[in-house]
Amino acid sequence: MMLELAPEDVAFRLNARDWLKANVPAAPAPHEGHPSREYALEWLARLHASGWSGLAWPADYGGQGLSPTRMILWYEEYVRARAPSALDCTFVALNHAGPTLIACGTERQKTFHLPRILEGRSIWCQGFSEPGAGSDLASLKTTGRVDGDHIVVNGQKIWSSFAHIADYQELLIRTEPGSARNKGLSWVICDMTLPGITIRPICNMAGVSHFAEVFYDDVRIPLSEIVGGLHNGWNTAMTTLGIERRTAAMTLQLELSVKIEELIDLARPAPGTAAAEILSDLRAEAAAVRAMTYRTALREPATPFDGSLVRLSYAELAQRIHRTAVDILGAGALAEGPWVHDYLESYSETIAGGTAEIQRNIIAERILGLPREARA
Amino acid sequence: MSYDLTPGEELTHILYAAQSLLDANYPLDRLRDSAHVDGMAPLADFGAFLLSLPEESGGAGFSALEEAHLHAALGRHLLAPTALASTLAARIALETGRDGLAQAIASGETRVCAGVSTRNDHFLFEPDGAAMAVIRTDDGLNLVGLKDAEMEPATAMGHGRPLSRLKDVRSVGNGFKADEETARLHALLTSAQLLGVARAARDLAVDYAGTREQFGRPIGSFQAIKHHCANMAIGVEMVSAQLDMAAIAVRDGREDAAFQTAALARLAPRVALQNARLCIQIHGGIGFSAEADVQLFLKQAHLLRNYLGATDFLSLPSPMFPLAKVPA
Repeated sequence: MMLELAPEDVAFRLNARDWLKANVPAAPAPHEGHPSREYALEWLARLHASGWSGLAWPADYGGQGLSPTRMILWYEEYVRARAPSALDCTFVALNHAGPTLIACGTERQKTFHLPRILEGRSIWCQGFSEPGAGSDLASLKTTGRVDGDHIVVNGQKIWSSFAHIADYQELLIRTEPGSARNKGLSWVICDMTLPGITIRPICNMAGVSHFAEVFYDDVRIPLSEIVGGLHNGWNTAMTTLGIERRTAAMTLQLELSVKIEELIDLARPAPGTAAAEILSDLRAEAAAVRAMTYRTALREPATPFDGSLVRLSYAELAQRIHRTAVDILGAGALAEGPWVHDYLESYSETIAGGTAEIQRNIIAERILGLPREARA
Repeated sequence: MSYDLTPGEELTHILYAAQSLLDANYPLDRLRDSAHVDGMAPLADFGAFLLSLPEESGGAGFSALEEAHLHAALGRHLLAPTALASTLAARIALETGRDGLAQAIASGETRVCAGVSTRNDHFLFEPDGAAMAVIRTDDGLNLVGLKDAEMEPATAMGHGRPLSRLKDVRSVGNGFKADEETARLHALLTSAQLLGVARAARDLAVDYAGTREQFGRPIGSFQAIKHHCANMAIGVEMVSAQLDMAAIAVRDGREDAAFQTAALARLAPRVALQNARLCIQIHGGIGFSAEADVQLFLKQAHLLRNYLGATDFLSLPSPMFPLAKVPA
């Protein structure tokens, strides 16, 4: 076990630091709508032009193929430089769709989409959850009927982040009539401009609309847009979720170590006070989340489901840091501001991408080996 | 050279050997007799008290990393803090130029117990046969002689393991103060033992939840119990990842060693106490009884937390300061 850097790695870190210092936009990212799309794409294009996009992607697909060590170095510099949040509208493309195409896509799909994603020319959204299929994703009902060389999609998706400003959607639908649960599904690339698609943005509790409901009314998608094979969508989707639980969250997890310093700076508690005690605990946990991030990235062999431990620790700590910020701000928190905005946004941390309760079930059953619950 | 957190072969071997030693000599059921005093000979023979000392000082030449992992294993077996005190005492003796004393401590010939001295309370843990003690005070760590110590037996929390009260703290004198490096090792190793307690409590709880049946099925199939267990696993993972960060920082003399160790020392007692509490809760009635081992974890967590003490964590600079605040 060691945390020492070769001179080349040190040079890499300093280079990243200098580049970020010169290039991080001065203006904060707009919260929603087309301005947020333009901002994110422009930032990604700038990253790409200097060789900083697709860091975890293999070099064969235009990525940087960075080692886990360099990923950590880059993201630490990234969050310390207060660069734009990595959880913007390019997140799904870079961290879900792209890697899924790399793993399961056809040559045509890869050749067309991967450069567009890396260069900051296309936005993707996710189409997994439905009104009746949240934590229980396998109960999804949106159908795709095979009709010649097309599938005809009917149904509804929800909580699809950035759907209204996206070009493509990774759409998980039931293509085998009469199939149940995780059988008979397909993972499809859906062009968001196709006829029959209606998008209704949903305003969240922070007062911004970055997720949406999507309705499909006889939407015809060519069969060639299926990724990973007809009726094999569950396996394709699991590839995507597996990626989400591994590297993509690294930047958010590391960011907590910066946020807690900013909060301590804001509060400046006297030693021995209750506030100092609370902030000390939060700071220690942020250090531990960083340590877990390192461990997840740097320990071989990777242990399955460890991602759930760090993900949940991160999510709950993020919420506690923001709740504490609001406590410290007092009445000042009644007016909109960066901490208050992030506080309200943080409520999604234990819901999106697998609720805290589901994550705890996974930890108990898959890591600790406790008996599974009775399921329908 | 690159970042790598895969445990090395040496570490794996040491832990494997330590585990057989602990299973043979320190099974948990030894503590069913509350008067039991842990002998130190098996650990001394193993070289446990000088594991991370350089070979030229008579040590085994391993590092703080192996030592921290060894103490996590000791923590699982609820070793008396005598093992911690002996390790620290050998260090303090060497620092102050008392090589002969260091040898006597490391070989187990001179027994050193642990103690805590705060404003109102002065305790020694399992002092029987101890010639010296490493006492944690609010100002640091002191190695003192017990020749003239005026002490009397006290009843430990919940009629637990042997404890004495120092009647007059001045009777032990000032002794030798540990330097900063040894004080940091104290925080690292005591936290590692707390991690061991947290792990043992998690494993006992998970084991029980998987076998105890109510309503016709193992209670571990119910979400309420599962989530307690998941919380125990999360706590262990946090502390154990932080332990590696801190141990590597201490081993390599990294700039962030103070920060990483203080973060660890902040987390470890909280998680050990949480896991001990949840372990009792999951066991129900038997967990509340003195007939099961469950309650021992709670008492050990309290003891180690007090031996660890507190630091002013917020005064230490973080390695993740935003760039604008990084000192030049």
